[in-house]
Amino acid sequence: MARMKFLCDSERCIECNGCVTACKNANETEWGIQRRRVVTIDDGEPNETSISVACMHCTDAPCMAVCPTDCFYQTDDGIVLHDKDLCIGCGYCLFACPFGAPQFPQEEAFGERGKMDKCTFCAGGPEEDPVRQKELYGANRIAEGKLPLCAEMCSTKALLAGDAQVVSDIFRERVVYRGHKDGAWSAVTPGEMSEEEMAVRAEAFATDASSPVIAKA
Amino acid sequence: MKLTKKKYASSGKADSKGLGLSRRSFLKNTGITTGGLAAAGFMGNSMIRQAEAKTALSPDVPKEVKRTICSHCSVGCGVYAEVQNGVWTHQEPAFDHPFNRGAHCAKGASLREHGHGERRLKYPMKLVNGKWQKVSWETAIDEIGDKMQQIRQESGPDSVYWLGSAKHSNEQAYLFRKFASLWGTNNVDHQARICHSTTVSGVANTWGYGAMTNSFNDMHNCKSVILIGSNPSEAHPVAMQHILLAKERNKAKIIVVDPRFTRTAAKANEYVRIRPGTDVAYVWGLLWHIFENGWEDKEFIRQRVYGMDEVRTEVAKWVPSEVENVTGVGEAQMRKVAKMLATNRPGSIVWCMGGTQHTTGSNNTRAYCILMLALGNMGVSGGGANIFRGHDNVQGATDLGVLSHTLPGYYGLSAGAWKHWASVWDLDYEWIKGRFDQGKYRGKQPMNNNGIPVSRWVDGVLENKDRIEQKDNLRAMVYWGHAVNSQTRGVEMKKAMEKLEMMVIVDPYPTHAAVMHDRTDGVYLLPACTQFESYGSVTASNRSIQWRDKVIEPLFESKTDHEIMYRFAKKLGFADQLLKNIKVVNNEPVIEDITREFNRGMWTIGYTAQSPERLKEHQKNWHTFDFETLKAEGGAADGDFYGMPWPCWGTPEMKHPGTPLLYDTSKPVAEGGLNFRARFGVERDGVSLLSEDSFPVGAEIQDGHPEFSDKLLKQLGWWNDLTPAEKTSAEGKNWKTDLSGGIQRVAIKHGCAPFGNAKARAIVWTFPDKVPRHREPLYTPRRDLLDKYATWKDSESMYRLPTLYESIQKQDFSKEYPIILTSGRLVEYEGGGEETRSNPWLAELQQEMFAEINPYDANNLNVRDEADIWVEGAEGGRIKVKAMVTRRVDRGVVFIPFHFGGKFQGKDLTDKYPQGSAPYVVGEAANTATTYGYDSVTQMQETKVTLCKVTPA
Amino acid sequence: MKTHSTHTGANITGNSSVQYLKVVVASLLTLLCLTLSSPLWADSAAEKVQGNFAGADYWREVSGGTEGYTTSKGREHGQLINVSGETWRQWRNRWVSPGGLMAIGGSFSVLALAYLLLGPMRLDKPRTGRKIERWNPTDRALHWFVALTFLALAFSGILIMYGKHFIPDLFGYSFWKGTIALCKLVHNYIGPIFSVGLIVMLLRWLKNNFFTKTDIIWFLQGGGLIGNKHPSAGFMNGGEKGWYWALVFIGLTVVGSGFVLDFPIFGQVRDTMQWANLIHGGTSLLLFAISLGHIYIGTVGAEGALEGMKTGYVDETWAKQHHDLWYEEVKDQLIDEPLDEKEKPKK
Repeated sequence: MARMKFLCDSERCIECNGCVTACKNANETEWGIQRRRVVTIDDGEPNETSISVACMHCTDAPCMAVCPTDCFYQTDDGIVLHDKDLCIGCGYCLFACPFGAPQFPQEEAFGERGKMDKCTFCAGGPEEDPVRQKELYGANRIAEGKLPLCAEMCSTKALLAGDAQVVSDIFRERVVYRGHKDGAWSAVTPGEMSEEEMAVRAEAFATDASSPVIAKA
Repeated sequence: MKLTKKKYASSGKADSKGLGLSRRSFLKNTGITTGGLAAAGFMGNSMIRQAEAKTALSPDVPKEVKRTICSHCSVGCGVYAEVQNGVWTHQEPAFDHPFNRGAHCAKGASLREHGHGERRLKYPMKLVNGKWQKVSWETAIDEIGDKMQQIRQESGPDSVYWLGSAKHSNEQAYLFRKFASLWGTNNVDHQARICHSTTVSGVANTWGYGAMTNSFNDMHNCKSVILIGSNPSEAHPVAMQHILLAKERNKAKIIVVDPRFTRTAAKANEYVRIRPGTDVAYVWGLLWHIFENGWEDKEFIRQRVYGMDEVRTEVAKWVPSEVENVTGVGEAQMRKVAKMLATNRPGSIVWCMGGTQHTTGSNNTRAYCILMLALGNMGVSGGGANIFRGHDNVQGATDLGVLSHTLPGYYGLSAGAWKHWASVWDLDYEWIKGRFDQGKYRGKQPMNNNGIPVSRWVDGVLENKDRIEQKDNLRAMVYWGHAVNSQTRGVEMKKAMEKLEMMVIVDPYPTHAAVMHDRTDGVYLLPACTQFESYGSVTASNRSIQWRDKVIEPLFESKTDHEIMYRFAKKLGFADQLLKNIKVVNNEPVIEDITREFNRGMWTIGYTAQSPERLKEHQKNWHTFDFETLKAEGGAADGDFYGMPWPCWGTPEMKHPGTPLLYDTSKPVAEGGLNFRARFGVERDGVSLLSEDSFPVGAEIQDGHPEFSDKLLKQLGWWNDLTPAEKTSAEGKNWKTDLSGGIQRVAIKHGCAPFGNAKARAIVWTFPDKVPRHREPLYTPRRDLLDKYATWKDSESMYRLPTLYESIQKQDFSKEYPIILTSGRLVEYEGGGEETRSNPWLAELQQEMFAEINPYDANNLNVRDEADIWVEGAEGGRIKVKAMVTRRVDRGVVFIPFHFGGKFQGKDLTDKYPQGSAPYVVGEAANTATTYGYDSVTQMQETKVTLCKVTPA
Repeated sequence: MKTHSTHTGANITGNSSVQYLKVVVASLLTLLCLTLSSPLWADSAAEKVQGNFAGADYWREVSGGTEGYTTSKGREHGQLINVSGETWRQWRNRWVSPGGLMAIGGSFSVLALAYLLLGPMRLDKPRTGRKIERWNPTDRALHWFVALTFLALAFSGILIMYGKHFIPDLFGYSFWKGTIALCKLVHNYIGPIFSVGLIVMLLRWLKNNFFTKTDIIWFLQGGGLIGNKHPSAGFMNGGEKGWYWALVFIGLTVVGSGFVLDFPIFGQVRDTMQWANLIHGGTSLLLFAISLGHIYIGTVGAEGALEGMKTGYVDETWAKQHHDLWYEEVKDQLIDEPLDEKEKPKK
């Protein structure tokens, strides 16, 4: 079974923020909500490294574990989604998340935070009406057989998205070219890798990202 | 428990409002039509909110997919724009596009926001008693036209300045130059003047053409890349995809030379920090090691380079200790980099504004070229001078002559050039001549004299008119797609604006020009369309020409640039001449007709074979072009290089594939091969300038040769290869002026480059410095170096204006202004930033103007991170900005980004914008604090090095 | 070799729990294992010197919670890894949540046992019918105000903590959605009101609640459970004082930590919130468990106790039995009152 993951190759990430605005473009989140961000460590120093980060769709997601309403669920592809109708804006998911992914439109007295918003891996949310789904959760590209726009638009193909297997294959190839394996930033774990390839688009994207871009030695 | 998708419990029925939502109602819903406008206007900067623009359209509405090109830089990234009911609802990555493979930076990835345009200028406006008043297009054109005619009567056509744009399409740029010409002035220019003019002059004078020699894609083949004064991670992020591929796949060594530790430096194998303004010294320092160790490519120099010995003499002076003293780079690192370049060939050099925006810009660019020539890196795949251009069509607008010193195609302003274009335009040369001021100023006639460059229009207004080579001062300015805040000397610019009689701003946004002055009338704002509301061709940095579809209809009351030009021409009485062979439909000149017209005249640089039909064919077949070579394999464009990078010789019928790498002798000219251009004569001081034993594969003349003309053809016995019709046309003409293209065709048939085959020249005897020399910036902190490296003497006239050098450098500002001030890019914004700061997706990311300052200086000056500070330039212009304490900059250097506007010397000007059109983010314009200083060849402004002082605010 | 250092780096995050946080660094492990055999490996060290590659040290730094630069304006967005989030989750889900359940369950069991084995504490002697005022209307209003808001908070809090495990399954999605939203509103808005009431109440009753020697004896005798003699007590007996001080210490901790959680407007960072949440959860559950004792004694546990808080008056017998010292002080204020006609004072 496909297991959707992000992997940011920090050897490639140049902090161009393309992923950030691609996310805005796909999901039209309001001013102040950035589902994805790029963090640069050691800014201006010789070890400067940038990494694009959003919800990493953890397999054992801490947000799910602590949510008092149980509004999170994981799709068959391993994408962690949440139900905004059920969300009470308590903020627990934010306390627990290792990546600071959950965000709230407000932060006011009496714990008024509004409904939590986070990266959906461009998989929309639990809402059947497409118009309302778009408004609440943003794009559902997965349903159209496409991958998250942030990764698809990454300027240097640093940010990869798709089936863990495919993504790690791409990265492994890069590792071979480079002769070293530094740079990966992901939540892909050994146990999750499966033989099964994700549907059409993952393959297509991986091809786009890897060949001939990186497939040729 | 696992929540499954719950039932859709809608209050109503299956909600059908998404279906059939028209563009009008979409606009209404998003609150950006007139009704919502008022509300939007009250939203101050402090309560920034994205105007609700949920494009939650039902997927059932049919989608139309348009192919367009990102308008934010010259990489030329392809975009799929999906349109539903006239609304741009989705943007999809163009994985099959040969330049970007779907990739985008922050700007490209937010392109679709252009379809919302909530902060656009919505209708023509006029400043009356300090208030903006809505006017009709007709009124605006009438009033502006009448005023212009009055100025023309009183002061001649040169008192109206036509400032064009690198954001025009090729067709619009060409029409704009033609428009200014028929108005009767050379006072026309655009951003290229202040971005890569020194590149064009330096590079063209070295080997023929002033453009990027290879391509982004070709950089995959580099073994080394040295970037000087270029920061593609922020300025051309998609270029980094190619550079990083070279690094990873080809083990290319990446060397970044920059005063600032940039995001590009973070990806480099070697980072070199130099003192701003010491590029020539640095390059000579590298060459010193190269010559010292015999690492130069001697055979290449013998065959293809003229004058290298004179360079050697100059380089010999740059011993390591002197280099360290001037640039700050030690011997070990100099040698290391020189060796990296020498042992990793082919290598490419990349430079941008960091190299060009200096008084010595033309020296810098030539030094870079000479470095590549010495290493034998020219004319090979993986080598080259890869000069990344800025705006999306700055290459095209330059090529099409939106410049004060040339007509389209770099023909210059001589009578011959005018006659060539008169014949292309099918107009009487004498009539055109009659449109100009017939006076003579310092012995020069305005028609053949360089106009005032955009960098100096301020002086054109303020300078004593007796000292200007034209009848009168500038009295009216037309800013047609220009950000004034990208120009230096903001304080004086404000004065100039206030002295003008009329300002006309034609732009999708009001721009900083609408608000920075204290005028109360005589300002017009005309809403222009973006490139997504029009169509046409655009030239990327690598010289490829790409076709854009129209994505959406013009928003609000905006009109396309070519329509506005037509309307003005009609009002000013020369529409018939302007559009003699161009159809006009619904007041809009037909784009394809314009393309065909410049195809008929642009022989010099091979803009002749890229017909609209071929361009559209390429556009439809993105996927057939190879990602490495840009060559189409099969498909409709089989064998062509993507976008037919110029020179694409001859007529469209000749089917030349374009030239992917300039001066590459490994291919026949007919297949995109080339050699250096014979542009500077055939000999000098008895020494041949033509190449020796070097020629493109398949050339019948296996040696250097001059450029082709009717005479040369006859001499070679090739005259009869011309058809009878071609003979008629070619008689008395050369490869640049033969409108039939016959001379080019025959030359290429014999495997020869139409422009001859010569050596590149390392020395330029027509420039102020024959051999590029290091000269200290006008505002330098190193007074001790002035004995050896002083600037030039003041000039009585350059581009019509007196130009100061020595008299400024002689004054010591370094006591009061001890810190070097330099400026540069942020990835989120472009140029003056009016467009990108009005895009909430981008504006959200950079909400405040700042200045980078080293912790050492910050602590000495008692400045904390994020504190307000005043940065005051050496001419007294002050900006109040946030301090960013960072080691990105060295001690003694302050860096400021140049995209902000809407504040002036501490004053917020937000309320001066027409209601609802203030950008989301305003900030001090960097150039309020920058100073005087212009390149001695092109009048490029010096923004990359001046002096300032910093005080806590 | 750097392979090993990467391992160590990964384990730093991995160790904190058994199978959690497979995030980030762990992935390196995989890729590393996959590529270990690569012959290209040999010259990687040389490469590393030249480029500033993000290696093991870097990941260790990042997983240590280092902050960087970001254009995102979100609070704490400069921090790539929130290192304490997982710890918080473990503490909350593994300790506080089950611990609270055990405390409440334990409390219930003890009380149930007490009821079954010992039965309610009856009055030793028949009522005299003479009443004495124990709680004036203000006291009673205060008590019931605090009690009701306390119960609202307790129930909403318990549902926030445990509701998801049974309510949706029992009552369905719609019911749960409404309930949990209500619980949050109740908890967040009534919390501050409760706090005010609690503080006023505690201040008002402070003077009666200082421990004395009598209380020690009271405790030694288990409040009457040990031995067959009722221990002496003043206005408040040892047990009540204990409850009072529990409210002071635990209750105010609950209030304080709740305030931190309820008003995220002072720039509290996640770390602060996590601490506040653990403290709030732990102490409130403990307080609730203790409150069950108070509720038990105040209702079915001791005959006549509820009366005092209901009417304000207690029977002479009750007063003598439970608060003999106080009775001595106030016995001259006794009011005759027929058992069935409370409202009519006599003579």
